[in-house]
Amino acid sequence: MTMAHVRADTHTWDELLAPDGTPRPAARALLDQLATLEHSELQERQTLAELDILTMGITFTVYSDGRGIDRAWPFDIIPRVIAASEWRGVEAGLKQRLRAINMFIDDLYHEQRIIADGVFPAELLEHSKNFRHECIGANPVHGVWAHISGSDLVRDADGTMYVLEDNLRVPSGVSYVLENRAISKRVFADLFARQSILPVDSYTDELNRMLVSIAPAGITNPTIAVLTPGIYNSAYFEHSFLAQRLGAVLVEGADMVVGDDECVYMRTIGGLERVHVIYRRIDDEFLDPEVFRPESTLGVPGLMRAWRAGNVAIANAPGAGVADDKVVYAWVPDIIRYYTGEEPLLANVLTYRCHYPDERTYVIDHIDQLVVKPANESGGYGLLIGDRATRSELDAHIALIEADPRNWVAQPILALSTVPTICDGEIEPRHVDLRPFILSGASSYVTAGGLTRVALRKGSLVVNSSQGGGSKDTWIVEAE
Amino acid sequence: MLLSRVADSLYWGARYLERAEDTARIVRSYTELVIDLPTSALSTWEPLLAVAGGSSAVFRAQAEQDEALLPIGEVPIVRHLVADQHNPGSICSSVDAARENLRTTREIIPREAWQTVNDLYLYVGSNAAGGVERRSRARFLGHLIGECQQLDGVMTTVMNRDEAYELWRLGQSIERADMTTRVVGVRAAALLGAGQQHAADGSITDIHDDVQWMGLLRSVSALQMYQRATRGPIDGRAAVRFLLLDPTFPRSVASCATRIREALGRLPRSRRTMPVIDELERVLAVAAAGGEDGASLDAAMEDVQAMLSAINDVVHEAFVHSSM
Repeated sequence: MTMAHVRADTHTWDELLAPDGTPRPAARALLDQLATLEHSELQERQTLAELDILTMGITFTVYSDGRGIDRAWPFDIIPRVIAASEWRGVEAGLKQRLRAINMFIDDLYHEQRIIADGVFPAELLEHSKNFRHECIGANPVHGVWAHISGSDLVRDADGTMYVLEDNLRVPSGVSYVLENRAISKRVFADLFARQSILPVDSYTDELNRMLVSIAPAGITNPTIAVLTPGIYNSAYFEHSFLAQRLGAVLVEGADMVVGDDECVYMRTIGGLERVHVIYRRIDDEFLDPEVFRPESTLGVPGLMRAWRAGNVAIANAPGAGVADDKVVYAWVPDIIRYYTGEEPLLANVLTYRCHYPDERTYVIDHIDQLVVKPANESGGYGLLIGDRATRSELDAHIALIEADPRNWVAQPILALSTVPTICDGEIEPRHVDLRPFILSGASSYVTAGGLTRVALRKGSLVVNSSQGGGSKDTWIVEAE
Repeated sequence: MLLSRVADSLYWGARYLERAEDTARIVRSYTELVIDLPTSALSTWEPLLAVAGGSSAVFRAQAEQDEALLPIGEVPIVRHLVADQHNPGSICSSVDAARENLRTTREIIPREAWQTVNDLYLYVGSNAAGGVERRSRARFLGHLIGECQQLDGVMTTVMNRDEAYELWRLGQSIERADMTTRVVGVRAAALLGAGQQHAADGSITDIHDDVQWMGLLRSVSALQMYQRATRGPIDGRAAVRFLLLDPTFPRSVASCATRIREALGRLPRSRRTMPVIDELERVLAVAAAGGEDGASLDAAMEDVQAMLSAINDVVHEAFVHSSM
């Protein structure tokens, strides 16, 4: 079946179709193939893919009435396609961005030159919720703090790719990149044979290499553990998946103990065994009840002592989240220029910071034309899209902003690009974003593509799986 | 290297799955037996409750409060054993518990093994009610047993023979031994007791005894293997000896004990764990040598079960508790 009719709205960018309804070059092979399929055949492939997901147990957990429910991972078989030539530019931009961000974090916990030089305002740091005084002076290997990050990219109507936010704490979703590909290879086996689609499977090898590269000095064959909050966490599937692919041990806080020698050990059936690298999937505040939340049972008492002593590497390093903040985001272009002397390769979205009275006034006056976001929430919670909100919702948010201005930023409403998507048997355009994953250790690496999230509700811009979003495979295609 | 917490989950995952499979075999063979026998010969389903053990006492007590429900019929008993989510020993609860345990071991067990567990969970979730009705019961139980065997096949053919595998085998063998002793302790003891009663009061031996013994052997999938091994007509005492001691039959208690010994030998702290398996084998030998009448057989099986429970405690102490 053909897709041309899907290109109804020419005010947004479609990833597969040009405004005249013809395929974009990188998507031509895909659309030619889809054109040969009857409507019912396409639906059948979608159904088979959903069956695979169910039997493979690919799930995520949502909370409802206080209990976690395992849901099958929502996946749409029509992939998002990006030309490799464009992707190489995005990849370079992400590496540049993360190099600068890591230098920024390291600077904040040491001399704070960027503040002394008047580039970053001191008062922002004073009010930062994610600046950890416990991390001042710490020296993680290679000076890298954000080892694993996921930056969310969106494409506006003019075709420009923007970084929407940087997730530097415990970004999730990479396992679905790999699983989506496994399913997509079954669905479009013939297309994978006929054209060059960059593989994504090497991610876990690269992750392993990066984690080995940050091991404490003198340890060449480190024992790696993935620290999960446990089975009721929404990303538990991913924690388990990554541990499995890494050949690492999946641990919970209670599985570990810090010894008198300030080394970290895990409790095994043969006794205590040393752990050298922890890929943690819990937030800073839960890491160590001695230092952070005393009531937390998810972490390990003494973990921060062991980390500061250099006896264990923690990825991401405690305190890395200081740069994962929608306020700091607004300064990233300046941060890149300051530390690298280069111009940013990837665009930042214009961001109004309610911390500043003039910008706050602008936001309040134009709130119906802006996306308003809390600085420190993830998962789309607290987000307000001005032109879709009622007057009372707008007023409620204005009150929130005035109560705690530093915690709010606002951005123009971007017209997120679309990809044709199967919705109730019909093919319709749906908005997408893209989360590539960036690894930073001795060297850096960017996934070939990333997780394309799609807002399955018509017209919706909210792509989070916890709020009715789905996903697609992302193909980086080499031109013929 | 195996985390204590994960060891515990593997062990219990294996136990719960074995419990589900064994319960399915028992319910299936009992159903066949009832269908085989004339209605006068076997009017009660209650022996099934006795085999299922502790949790069923509560069920029976509740049923007895309402005389209108007595005697407890086929459907409530089978529902209790197959599809009752409030019965922790039911097939559906066992499968739920197995999956819940194995969910935390996904990075350890082969991927196909997890998929099979997940398939089984989905299947039981949507079909358990069909396992209660007599016309669909055999299909449901047969499918469930088949999935369990597939899982066992995956574990046997693709899993590394490491500590995780030994914990799995340990859980499976302890549960299997326990279920076999229950079948012997309840049903074989009852059959032996009935036979003695007939001999004592001069009445003829129940002509359906051999059918009952066949049903009993079938409930641990032992009938064909018993016949191959003994090449003679079915004799109650020989059947009991076969189920307890035969080293060639993999579901006999002695075979399970051998596998428990092997597993403990390959796991850490074997010097601490071995004495208890020596003790199990000693108790088992005593049980098989005595047990001339039903009551003493029943008591002897309780001794064996107590030893299996002691092994369970030692396993917990050695692998889970000691590193805490």
